[in-house]
Amino acid sequence: MLSVSPLAPPARAGVWLVRLSVLATYILRRLIETIGLLFLLSIILFALVNIAPGGPLSAFGGKRIRPEKIEILKRQFGLDQPLPAQYIYWLTGNDWTQVDTDGDGTKDMPGTRKGILRGDFGFSYRTREPVLQEIGLRLPNTITLMGVTMLIALLIAIPLGIFSAIRQYSLFDFLATGFSFAGQAVPEFWLGLLLILIFYAWLKNPWTGEPLLPPGGMFTIEGGFSLTDRISHLVLPVVTGALGWIAWYSRFLRSSLLEILPQNYLRSARARGLPERRVIYRHALSNALIPIVTLLALDLPYIFTGAVLIETIFAWPGMGRLYYQAAVERDYPLLMAVLIIGAAFIILSNLLADILYAYLDPRVRYE
Amino acid sequence: MSTKSRTLLFLTISVIASLVLASCGPSSTPTPNAAPSEPQGNALPEPDTNKSITIVIAEDPPSFNPMVADTGYDALVMELVMLGMTDVDPDGNVFPELAAELPTSDNGGVVLDEEAGTMSVTWKMREDVNWQDGIPVTADDVIFTWNAISDPTNGSWIPGSDYIDSVEKVDEHSFTVNYRSIYPGYLTQFGGEQLVIWPAHFCDLEQGFVAWDCGRQPLSDGPFTLTEWVEGDHMTFSKNEKYYMTRKPELDQVIVRIVPDDTVRKTMMMNGDADIDMWINVNTINELKDNASAKVSFSPTERWVMRLFMNEAAKGTIDPAATPHPILSDVHVRQAIRMAVDVDTINNQIFYGLAHPVWTEFARPPYACELARPAFDPEAARTLLEDAGWIDTDGDGVRECHGCENAEEGYKMEMEFITYAEYGEPLELTQQLIAEMLGSIGMKLNISVVEGSVLWDLAENGGIEQSGNFDIDLWDDGYAGVDPTDYIWEAYSKEAMTPGNGWNFFRWDNAAVDALIDETYTLDEQTRKDTFCAIADFINEEVPEIHLFTVPNADAYSARLEGVRSTANDLVTWNIADWQTK
Repeated sequence: MLSVSPLAPPARAGVWLVRLSVLATYILRRLIETIGLLFLLSIILFALVNIAPGGPLSAFGGKRIRPEKIEILKRQFGLDQPLPAQYIYWLTGNDWTQVDTDGDGTKDMPGTRKGILRGDFGFSYRTREPVLQEIGLRLPNTITLMGVTMLIALLIAIPLGIFSAIRQYSLFDFLATGFSFAGQAVPEFWLGLLLILIFYAWLKNPWTGEPLLPPGGMFTIEGGFSLTDRISHLVLPVVTGALGWIAWYSRFLRSSLLEILPQNYLRSARARGLPERRVIYRHALSNALIPIVTLLALDLPYIFTGAVLIETIFAWPGMGRLYYQAAVERDYPLLMAVLIIGAAFIILSNLLADILYAYLDPRVRYE
Repeated sequence: MSTKSRTLLFLTISVIASLVLASCGPSSTPTPNAAPSEPQGNALPEPDTNKSITIVIAEDPPSFNPMVADTGYDALVMELVMLGMTDVDPDGNVFPELAAELPTSDNGGVVLDEEAGTMSVTWKMREDVNWQDGIPVTADDVIFTWNAISDPTNGSWIPGSDYIDSVEKVDEHSFTVNYRSIYPGYLTQFGGEQLVIWPAHFCDLEQGFVAWDCGRQPLSDGPFTLTEWVEGDHMTFSKNEKYYMTRKPELDQVIVRIVPDDTVRKTMMMNGDADIDMWINVNTINELKDNASAKVSFSPTERWVMRLFMNEAAKGTIDPAATPHPILSDVHVRQAIRMAVDVDTINNQIFYGLAHPVWTEFARPPYACELARPAFDPEAARTLLEDAGWIDTDGDGVRECHGCENAEEGYKMEMEFITYAEYGEPLELTQQLIAEMLGSIGMKLNISVVEGSVLWDLAENGGIEQSGNFDIDLWDDGYAGVDPTDYIWEAYSKEAMTPGNGWNFFRWDNAAVDALIDETYTLDEQTRKDTFCAIADFINEEVPEIHLFTVPNADAYSARLEGVRSTANDLVTWNIADWQTK
């Protein structure tokens, strides 16, 4: 949050007010653009999801679905309407118009859907439960997993990047570079299964004889709440997920620092007799971290959209698995909700990245 | 504020936010989806860990009502908490659950009106079955269930429902189903692997059969009750103390864990942390064969017959008479394909010898037909193709039409060969091997793999099979339960050739078979057997499909568990009340 010192002279307060006003105008303009963009995206996504080959009726009936059941399902899912009407009902609901509920060809009752503009994302074809309820059950799990993964990744990547840069071409740098390449190259599904094999199937706790780490899930069933238990369930998925991010962020920070280290202002700092630590950590790192912060903001949507492979391998009930299942089963309402919410997160993260960049780097202005 | 301070401030906020998020993990307390607490009470005794088992499955069941989404996982958990009028054992015998006895003509339960061609079935129900809240299960529940199913707005469709005229209550524990025609599958119509009876006093008819809350928060009359459901993670079931069978179930607790990855499920079985892994594939069967912790239960019969479907209408059309397929409309070509596919090699090289060669639709009781196994004879296949006017004159290894039945002179014997992706590697390898085998007799097959939902979609959505847009397809099919009557109509009747009417998408048109299919709608078992075998002869002769093999219907179970009997007629939990731990 921005603040203004009460002792600041009026002119300084004025500058802050002007800056705040510019920032507010900028955010407002971007938010209005976001709404328009989301509206356009909703049309494109709705069309793509519906036009894609394979439909929910075949996904539901398996190999054989009887015509009698098809007719019932079409009506219940609203698929008996033309595509533009389906989109309008999805957007605005159908409680303002009459629908044919019993298949006799007569529109006899008002619909029951309110539409996403009024917060009704419909019901999942698979479970017949409200879509937002389905998402609400999974979102906290994904935020937990991906939030911790990102945090761990940063805590490791930042020191790794710094030491690699200041000890360029040292043994440590070579090792870190090798680790980074490996981290980016190793497929998550392979690494995840390997870790399960090692830490669940092979290695045992010497005192209890139990596996060293659980193979998946979020907690021990019927074990009651235990922080240690929660952490033990997080270890393997977090390690699997963090490896790629560690590699990415550490390489980025290394090259960012390497660009800054030869700059004249650092040479001046050294010439003024500042200790090397102070030069690196106070003057070089503060500038090198700016693009990292922007990157971090752009990666924020992953915290909400999850990671399909990690959630699948480690039986973590998050958004990634929900999305994958909805896509495979052509659960259109659920799929659309995840896509639209995901798109909104991405757009807002971009906005956040722009704001942060300008906030952290005084050379950038909100224009 | 300096740039450095701003950056550090942001990173600090990020770290704190992540920590806060991490602490917001889910709790293991029951979700709102858990079963009503009243029937179970809060003072359940602690389950004996030795009498607690864990079933691992790939995904959450959508509900306890398989009629809604039919994923198999719904039927698996349904068997734990709900009962139907009847069920089917692994050998194909129908046995009563809520029914006191099976209605037959002999015991007066079935009354036929030969003149009108109608029948009525009177069911007598057990009087000692209660819901978990103590209220008896009665005929009112059956009537309620039927009314919910047949509701045009929120209902569904069950096999044979079109034949039902009415369902009437006789007394508290008996009811009559009046049919407008003869329906041989009546015994499993209100039972089997998909349909159960729902509690009238607990389910809300206004919410509808497919969407009512009791579909996910069921009131049990089965061996277990649902006590907790953490979506995407696990479900916990406790012994139903009010279950009607004395001293059953033997187990105190069943935990169903959601573990999407099959390798992890297999590892958990081998590590002794899981007791049941359903529908295991041949790779897992092969890996578990010498394992001390896990065993494999095989069903005595197998439902899914892997087969080749050959389109008799030209690709993209649906009328085999007006637009015959240039290659496959000739019965000699279809017979040659059958001769050229070496099922035993496929079995040994891909399925570890665990598959069972099958060469007829009627390969399992009670309607198993004796037919000689077609010989694998690629040389005879080549001769048959030569005689049918398919000769490779340009020496490129692919035959061309030179006097063939339905193609232009010089037409290449080249076709598309499709299978579906979801089955996985064994099917794709099978597809490649068959393409090689047919390539060796001069038939070029271009293979492709598509999603099942694309292959089987409606014609109006561009579904490949329904719109006739294929040459040869490979996938596994077969009838559920023990009555093939409706399945045979759907697969082989002329009426089922029309897109949307059924699954005769290979467009085999045979008037004699149509007449035979009509004859199968009788309760005379001997007539039915004879008629099905007559149909089998026609299929064997004209080869509209090539039946190849069945793969084992198998489930893995832990060595400490007894009583597990896999079945092709139901889910492995069909007899969970009988399971016990060593």
